[in-house]
Amino acid sequence: MNKTTGKIGRRRFLKLMSIASFYGVLGSAGVTRAQPLRYGKLVDTTRCIGCKRCMSACKRWNQLKIERDELETDRETDLTANNWVVVNLRADAKNREQRTYDHWSCQHCIEPACAGVCPVSAITKLSTGNVVINEKKCIGCRYCYQACPFKVPRFDFEKRVTRKCTLCNDRILLNYSKPACVAACPVQALSFGYKHEIILVAKQRVFKKKNARYILGLTEAGGTDMLTILPAKPKDLGLVVAPNKVVNQNLDKIRITATGIMAASVIAGAMYSYAQKTQHLDHKFDE
Amino acid sequence: MLFRSVLDIVERSPGFALWISILCALILLGIYALLASFVFSMEILEFSIKIPWVMMISTYVFLVATGSGLCIINALGGVFGIHRYEMMSKRMAFLSLTTIVFGMLYIVLHLGHPERMPIYNAISPNFRSAISWMGALYSVYLVFVVIELYLLILPELSNKLKHSEGFIKTCLNVITLEKFEKHSITKLLKDPRLPRLVATLAFVTGASALAMLGSVFAHSESRAFWYGAYYPVYFLLSAIFCGYAFLLCTTIITYWSRKEEISPKIKKLIFEMAQVLALLLAVGILFVTFRLSTGLFNTSSLGPVMLLLKGPFSTTFWIFEIGLMSVIPIVVLLRAANKESIRGVLTGSLMVLIGAFVMRYEFVVAGQVYPNIRENLPSYTPTIIEVFIIIGVLGAFLLVYTLGEKFLPLKEERHQQAQ
Repeated sequence: MNKTTGKIGRRRFLKLMSIASFYGVLGSAGVTRAQPLRYGKLVDTTRCIGCKRCMSACKRWNQLKIERDELETDRETDLTANNWVVVNLRADAKNREQRTYDHWSCQHCIEPACAGVCPVSAITKLSTGNVVINEKKCIGCRYCYQACPFKVPRFDFEKRVTRKCTLCNDRILLNYSKPACVAACPVQALSFGYKHEIILVAKQRVFKKKNARYILGLTEAGGTDMLTILPAKPKDLGLVVAPNKVVNQNLDKIRITATGIMAASVIAGAMYSYAQKTQHLDHKFDE
Repeated sequence: MLFRSVLDIVERSPGFALWISILCALILLGIYALLASFVFSMEILEFSIKIPWVMMISTYVFLVATGSGLCIINALGGVFGIHRYEMMSKRMAFLSLTTIVFGMLYIVLHLGHPERMPIYNAISPNFRSAISWMGALYSVYLVFVVIELYLLILPELSNKLKHSEGFIKTCLNVITLEKFEKHSITKLLKDPRLPRLVATLAFVTGASALAMLGSVFAHSESRAFWYGAYYPVYFLLSAIFCGYAFLLCTTIITYWSRKEEISPKIKKLIFEMAQVLALLLAVGILFVTFRLSTGLFNTSSLGPVMLLLKGPFSTTFWIFEIGLMSVIPIVVLLRAANKESIRGVLTGSLMVLIGAFVMRYEFVVAGQVYPNIRENLPSYTPTIIEVFIIIGVLGAFLLVYTLGEKFLPLKEERHQQAQ
């Protein structure tokens, strides 16, 4: 700073600007490199006793209706707009005596196919890991259901929107720290924490326990933020089998659409050729 | 006054009055179903929560694809300069517009919150979503096709204006922009290059929107039946043959209902179109053969292919898609073109339309059945309330077409640009 006039000189101004921009770039690089800590839910079906307290807690917290006797019996229950979490008794196809209670809900994919297809961007993957539907924005087209590799989002005929588990996004915001289902589990079959930690826990349990054989969600649909320890492969337990890769990749979509556009161009070429080759018919027609 | 004019119409043409009454009854049936879905629950429109897209979506695909096919066929005259096709361009543009608008109406009725669609599609569109692109492209296409139709009928409306009086004259004055005769817009509208430019833009947006409609299904990697590059291409082809069949049916039925003789020139064009339709159907058979043969050797698409060949959809596939939509019409159409039988062309085209309607239904439902519901396949017969809505919208479409046919100059003749 020029002490006599109190003004910043040109050279000093440029120096200050370059230092500021250098630190600015450094700072922003640091911010972009920092991975936000994602949460994840771990379901250990080998511990589950089928009490369905998780279902009950989910309904209570999210104000969902009881549709029939889903909280009282072992009758097969499907995901619906009021059943965001279901617990069903499943038998291993290869060993019928091996029966286990399976806790099933939205898997909160790392790259959710539903968010990629929603025409009005009503579905978002939050930095905390939750995949949530903005019910005030949803138009009720049900395209998310068609795209979901686990067939989870269900249409609510009363509210006329698609609904599903939010991993209790609102509870996390209120610092209740755990989703309602996890907090209600009496046998710690459900746990909630940072994603990298629950992966470690899941792997340790599979390594130590004899009846825990498979972790659902490590590779399915490119990885999910809900991991499930199963006693057998998902296919043998009658669960939805998702491919071991990211579903509905953008490049794949572009490839498919480009094929259609190319076909349209070929058709335009064929039409031009038809017009040229039948010109004599036009002349006859005009006579 | 209105009552007296209605009585006049009934006296002069009772057949027309009966037809309009039937269509109004169908519309009322649709309105009843719609109200019932509001009063009770939207659930009465669906037969299974696991198959949310059923007959309304398949009819939407049928109508919108047919309308887009008509847009492509219309380009043969308006863009590629085939003079013979220009004779039918007014009817094609009007049919394309109405089929797409009423097809869109099915989607509007199927959506949970249709009122949010235009708002959020404009505010927060998802450029990764095929539905978003399809909606945008069809909206632009509709604008172009309205301008195209306007330009096509403008000279005849101006002619009508000279001989009309009273209220009709005022209306025509507004429609034809007579008051702005010296304005630059009117000069632009009279520019002979404008119709071709608009037709080209309509063709480009219509064909792209159609490819995008195929992509809506083809993007769904979780649906093995729909997924892949095959369907956007097949949608284009099937839309064109549906467009031809629809155009032939409506033209012939319209002439018959008016008890008018079809002029030899139009007859000639109809037989040429029948031959082109037969050729396209043959190409369609090649496409289906390609799909089946590649599917049999690919583990991921073997399931969906077997669903058609031997599964619960085999009856509709063999009888409707292969028999009624492909093989039999080729023979019927070629024979009709050879023997110059208008009745034969109508029979063949109707077969194609019925087969294509069932094919679209089968495509939409089978795609959702596999691979999720392998056992205990639910009945895939649509609910009666859903059928009422389908019938109601079809009734509204036919009513608009009938009124358009009566009041708009859609008759086949060469328009100014072609001369």
